[in-house]
Amino acid sequence: MKRKGRRPRKRVCSFCVDKVEAIDYKDIGRLRKYITERGKIIPRRISGNCAKHQRQLTVAIKRARNIALLPFTAE
Amino acid sequence: MAAYEVMYIVNPNLEEENVNAVVERFNNLIADQGGKVEEVDLWGKRRLAYEINKFKEGYYVVVNFQGDAKVVNELQRVMKISDDVIRFLLLSKEDK
Repeated sequence: MKRKGRRPRKRVCSFCVDKVEAIDYKDIGRLRKYITERGKIIPRRISGNCAKHQRQLTVAIKRARNIALLPFTAE
Repeated sequence: MAAYEVMYIVNPNLEEENVNAVVERFNNLIADQGGKVEEVDLWGKRRLAYEINKFKEGYYVVVNFQGDAKVVNELQRVMKISDDVIRFLLLSKEDK
């Protein structure tokens, strides 16, 4: 039996791998990996993050946007 | 007393020494209200991710302090009024 479509890649939450307790809005280098070129937050189904860390991540990104560390939009 | 963290952006048109004076003023304000400044981190001049009131860059300052509601309220009130601070973010450490 042949499965249709792409086989889903093994999803690993990179925050769980590094045992991150709390995601800091000041850690811009790290947050940047989870936004697109346009500045949008990459969804969980693409990034593979776990629900807990994705929630923390969105809060951190939004804080960083507020203080102009990250853009709301680009171009 | 609870732990707080405030990050603020100081007007980039000020001279370096005036920036230090602004930071000093806020640290004194925290102390005057009965708080305790624990750590001051000057990030220096950075480009802003987007323009704020026509400013394209600013001096970032991060201050960790202990205090109660009185300190926070006063700090918030003064920062909102101050022209030297173009944006600030005040967080309770417990929220993280």
